[in-house]
Amino acid sequence: MLFEKVLYPFDMRKACLGVKPYILKLKEAGCKEVHMLYVLLPSEWGFVAKEEYDSEDKIEALRGAIDDGYVDGLIRIFRKMKEVAQEFEEKGIKTRVVMIPGELDETIGYYVEEYGIKLVALGVTDESLSFFRVGKVLDIIKAVDSPVLVVKSPEEDGCQQLQ
Amino acid sequence: MPLFEKTLYSTDFSPLAEVALDYVKKLKEAGEKEVVVVHVVDDLSIELPEGADLLNEKELYKILPEVDQEYVTSLIERLEAVKKILESEGLSVKLYLKYGNIPKQIVEVAKKEKVKLIVMGAHGKGLLTEILLGSVSTDVIRNADCPVLIVKRREEE
Ligand SMILES: Nc1ncnc2c1ncn2[C@@H]1O[C@H](COP(=O)(O)OP(=O)(O)O)[C@@H](O)[C@H]1O
Ligand SMILES: [Mg+2]
Repeated sequence: MLFEKVLYPFDMRKACLGVKPYILKLKEAGCKEVHMLYVLLPSEWGFVAKEEYDSEDKIEALRGAIDDGYVDGLIRIFRKMKEVAQEFEEKGIKTRVVMIPGELDETIGYYVEEYGIKLVALGVTDESLSFFRVGKVLDIIKAVDSPVLVVKSPEEDGCQQLQ
Repeated sequence: MPLFEKTLYSTDFSPLAEVALDYVKKLKEAGEKEVVVVHVVDDLSIELPEGADLLNEKELYKILPEVDQEYVTSLIERLEAVKKILESEGLSVKLYLKYGNIPKQIVEVAKKEKVKLIVMGAHGKGLLTEILLGSVSTDVIRNADCPVLIVKRREEE
């Protein structure tokens, strides 16, 4: 099944919502599971113990180890992702919401391999493909061996953070 | 929502482009109706105008040296074979054989035909087999206005 398990990397920017309708539509072509992954970059979150944070309890357990403000931030993002995941669930697509510390391309590469992902769906801005950013998106495509769907949103709009 | 209604399949007839064809077929289940199949030639022995249409401009074909004529004829046959495969899946098909800069022509046909998605391989016939992402795919991802599906390997069923 070519589109059975989809990995949907979620970065809390508006642009990543651009690919959502495509994933929903792929249900008709066999999509059964969507894995929403937020990668905890060391450059943004500092050191977070390596673990797959897929519940609020696991995130709460970080209190004491990392700053409270960070834990609150993670909980807020996790809830936002759960809210988006609900839309897939309502359409009969199973979901997993998870946060994993690491570098973007390595973590996505690991996840695709570990969970037998069939398609990576990326919602990006034009800017993330520019020569100046030397394309993180291109690094992701290089790091995985599954197909990758790239959906672009206009820059101004796409860069906004989700609330 | 007609998100996959009209797609563009870009092929260099490499094995990976053939894998990409499986995805093009599969998208029919998600509402795909029409496929625009594109191949771009940039290696003829004479120079032609950028964007020349080798399928429909018959006069152009006549001015080509014999070797090029044979080459172009073989490419047309390969495109026709792809067309047959897709039509047998119940899709309607339009073919393009263009001359010029490869990614530029792919992106231009995508615009002109207002396709909703481009499907292509991550690499192709390049000499470096270890390359993870070819220059044509990189350029198309950067410059296309529509979504792009980059196919990387054959699905083991
Ligand atoms: N001449 C061409 N015409 C149409 N599509 C092409 C052409 N060359 C490459 N492509 C498309 O781009 C994909 C990637 O090829 P490319 O970027 O050229 O990689 P490589 O550098 O390995 O040749 C191919 O799988 C095919 O889908
Ligand atoms: Mg090539």
